[in-house]
Amino acid sequence: MTDMALIIQLLFIGVSLGGVYALMGSGLTIVFGVMRIVNIAHAALMMVASYVTYFAYIRIGMDPILSIFLTIPLMYFVGVITYKVFFSRLSKGIRYGELTVLLTFSIALIVEGLLGYFFTNTYRSTSPTYSTSAFLFGELFLPKGQFYATILSIVLIAALWAFLRYTRIGNAIRATMQNPTAAQVVGVNIEKASVVAFGIGLALGGAAGSLSTYMFPFYPGKHWEWIGILLSLIVLGGMGSLLGALVGAMLLAVTATFVSHYFGPTWSAVTFFLALFLILLFRPEGLFGKKMEVK
Amino acid sequence: MTLLKIDTVTAGYGVGPDILKGISLEMEKGKSYCIIGPNGAGKSTLLRVICGLLHPRTGKVMFKGENISKLRTDEILQRGICFVPQDFSLFPDMTVKENLRMGGYIMSDRKEVERRIGEVFEMFPILEQKSRDLAKTLSGGQQQMLAIGRSLILQPEVIMLDEPSLGLAPIVVQQIFKSIDRLKDAGMTIIMVEQNAKKGLEFAEWGCVLDLGVNRFEGPSETILYDPRIQELYLGKIQREHIDD
Repeated sequence: MTDMALIIQLLFIGVSLGGVYALMGSGLTIVFGVMRIVNIAHAALMMVASYVTYFAYIRIGMDPILSIFLTIPLMYFVGVITYKVFFSRLSKGIRYGELTVLLTFSIALIVEGLLGYFFTNTYRSTSPTYSTSAFLFGELFLPKGQFYATILSIVLIAALWAFLRYTRIGNAIRATMQNPTAAQVVGVNIEKASVVAFGIGLALGGAAGSLSTYMFPFYPGKHWEWIGILLSLIVLGGMGSLLGALVGAMLLAVTATFVSHYFGPTWSAVTFFLALFLILLFRPEGLFGKKMEVK
Repeated sequence: MTLLKIDTVTAGYGVGPDILKGISLEMEKGKSYCIIGPNGAGKSTLLRVICGLLHPRTGKVMFKGENISKLRTDEILQRGICFVPQDFSLFPDMTVKENLRMGGYIMSDRKEVERRIGEVFEMFPILEQKSRDLAKTLSGGQQQMLAIGRSLILQPEVIMLDEPSLGLAPIVVQQIFKSIDRLKDAGMTIIMVEQNAKKGLEFAEWGCVLDLGVNRFEGPSETILYDPRIQELYLGKIQREHIDD
């Protein structure tokens, strides 16, 4: 393979991973944008969707891609309930930021514990036919499974963008992300916008949980790896920015693919944390984020 | 006729101390009010309480005879009270037009919202020219016009302005006050908190002096403006401004 072909090949793989990372990250970033909640449990709840997808695949042979129609509404519902039970009452309290981090951390631990108890710590994955085949272009190849997942991820993110832009509740969510006080002043019911945004955030995580089952084998504790990656990409993009999540995901996925090829897969995880470290040091608001006010 | 009645209201933030300490005020329909007082007197807090961003700890806020102290901001907006917070409170990454549309968020008749946006454009032509620009790219004065324009979409009975002149150049302040004058002429009840006490009192018919969370003094604006005791206690700055003039 020529150097140029190799670079294009690595780009193919990087971008096709990036779409799924972006889908995972967009749920996290929207929840942060609206409610200022750093949802450490995002990836753990994503695992719930992965297990649902896995058992639907094993028991009734449901295609993992099709199972997003199951996991999206399910995780939306889980999100709404989680927000109403745990976060609603916190929102008017003091030390809201600190409490939500502790709370989501403990939710992550509880979910992990429950998944471990019921489904053991064995690695699982689904294996639809497209997960092991590829499109071939001369000497280049594009894994079909990753390609489908990335296309679907981009479609879902575009749908989210359109929803935020063209619907009334979407505008309310966008307004709350940009300026919560102004949103209240024009009559947005912040509580309602938050419930919907939290539901949507987890619904996106649910879709990502389904799609990841045939690309990344998983077990209950896998979410810690994910949340590290996801936090680094949304911090890079700018927390609360949807475009940021997409760009951050693509940049890091591509970089990690190159690092993995040239330095070995062990080093690819370091890419994310090194990026997190550098961005916090030099541009804490991220590429598309707003500067945080210190109050 | 009393439109708005603040009845021995106490209020504060979180678990912090009371900022408002039993304040009582009555406001009439179609009149303009200017609330002045030193920093920390509770001026902005009072406006936040009236529009439901903060609920009173004790006491009540009555609007047209209805107790609105426990209502949410959107419910208070429905009743006709609009608030323009300090530092304009716009949606920075939305266009001027989108900001104005958000002003009509609680209205179901979208056509009517568009019609009223047209009225705001007549009042502030510069906003029409910039209708596709992002709000964050506007100058301070334009942002204030947009914030006021946005609150007018609902055609409220009462409009509350928190420091409309803050951080603006004198010539821009003139423009802003001119447009608020037109609202006054149109019969709107205006409640204004103003750091620039002289400007605010010259504009309003009635003045209230707040200090340490209570209403120390109120009366016709000119009485307050020229009352030597008030000048000495609260309007030290005004005296200097008079000398400067």
